[in-house]
Amino acid sequence: MKRSRRVVLTMMGTAAAGAVSMGFVPRSGCGPGLTVVPGPGGRPYCRATYGGFGGAPHRFHGHGGHGHGGHAHGGG
Amino acid sequence: MQRLVCTERCDWRSTAEQCGFDFHTIDGERYWDERAYYAFTLDQIEGQIEEPTAEIDAMCLELVAYAIEDEHTLRRLKIPDAFWPLISESWHRDDASLYGRLDLAFDGRGPAKLLEYNADTPTSIFETAVFQWTWLEQAIERQIIPSRADQFNSIHERLIEAWKKLGEGRHLHLAGMTESTEDAGTLAYLEDTAGQAGLATTSIDIEDIGWRDDGGFVDLDDREIELVFKLYPWEWMFRDAFGERLIKAPTRWIEPPWKAILSNKGILALLWEMFPDHPNLLPAYFEDDPNAARLGASFVRKPLYSREGANIALIREGVTLVEQEGPYGEEGFVRQALAPLPNFSGQYPVLGSWLIDHTACGLSIREDENPITANTSRFLPHAIL
Repeated sequence: MKRSRRVVLTMMGTAAAGAVSMGFVPRSGCGPGLTVVPGPGGRPYCRATYGGFGGAPHRFHGHGGHGHGGHAHGGG
Repeated sequence: MQRLVCTERCDWRSTAEQCGFDFHTIDGERYWDERAYYAFTLDQIEGQIEEPTAEIDAMCLELVAYAIEDEHTLRRLKIPDAFWPLISESWHRDDASLYGRLDLAFDGRGPAKLLEYNADTPTSIFETAVFQWTWLEQAIERQIIPSRADQFNSIHERLIEAWKKLGEGRHLHLAGMTESTEDAGTLAYLEDTAGQAGLATTSIDIEDIGWRDDGGFVDLDDREIELVFKLYPWEWMFRDAFGERLIKAPTRWIEPPWKAILSNKGILALLWEMFPDHPNLLPAYFEDDPNAARLGASFVRKPLYSREGANIALIREGVTLVEQEGPYGEEGFVRQALAPLPNFSGQYPVLGSWLIDHTACGLSIREDENPITANTSRFLPHAIL
């Protein structure tokens, strides 16, 4: 039987708050839907200016068709 | 299998919040609900849940091996041909799967029936692996449930072991739609287990993934994304702006691209074709297959791509009894034989049988007053008595 198992969390809970990275400063030009962002290493890269993988405004975002309380989410 | 009413712990909300389970109540409604639990015998768990789960997983792998080599099947699944090489390469490279969840109809008597396979982005793993176990320990301690109670649950330790195998010393990124509390919670939990396996990790929102001009995906610190867990469906990845860059990048994805085949509800029809009359499968056909008529006027209609029950319709004798709204269905539908869920005190439970690194090792239960499990369905704990 499994009753001797230990389930320990090391990061979740208060330590996990704010663990996700957010935000960027949009700048001009990598083509449609992309913007140049300088990385700390100095090398610029292109990233999306809006949601989705690479920034495509796919039809599921924010329509409330799935996810709790009208918020889209990718799990299921 | 029984549904047993019990006393809830008076402090369960604060216990949940302390361990980071902050989506226990959603829009004022209970998601975690411990006013009752489902009880199983050990024989039921081992013989009717664990063994069939392993067998279905093996059948699914056989299906992928077949589909990869068969363009007709990939077309039936409406997988864009631009991504066939990505999928095929990940399969032939043996890119590993971390996890998946089979949704089963089970009443404790007849064989469990596969309703669908959440192969790509299953959630509810934290509450299954951790909070459900905390409930068991505290419920025994407080004499809410018998002291002999156990639980089908070794998900947590198997995740840690799986990460050790998958990591191979690489830095792990975890990406998803982090504005969703539920998805952020799932990512935080998986990151926790990866950390316990010794992996260095970085969380990132899926939209914050960048593309370096010399090729390759990077994070906000311009670090190359070598190995990434993504809680974001493959079919969305394929359609999004960076989809076309997937094939050019050396990034390894968890779940791997070959899981795009198994997360498609078309596999329900393909499994039935390959393994007809298997006791754990329900008859299922693509809607445009003339054989779908064999189901008669009673069936469940499911979009090839759908999550949380969206756009699923339950049709009996030609009459739509229940239909969930949603944005899916553009790619087509499958029809699956109607397998009415068992009714326990007016509640319809669906069992989630978890696979970690292809090992069946845990159980979750969602119940609803509605016979289609949706994102409002409540999570109830279980025990082996």
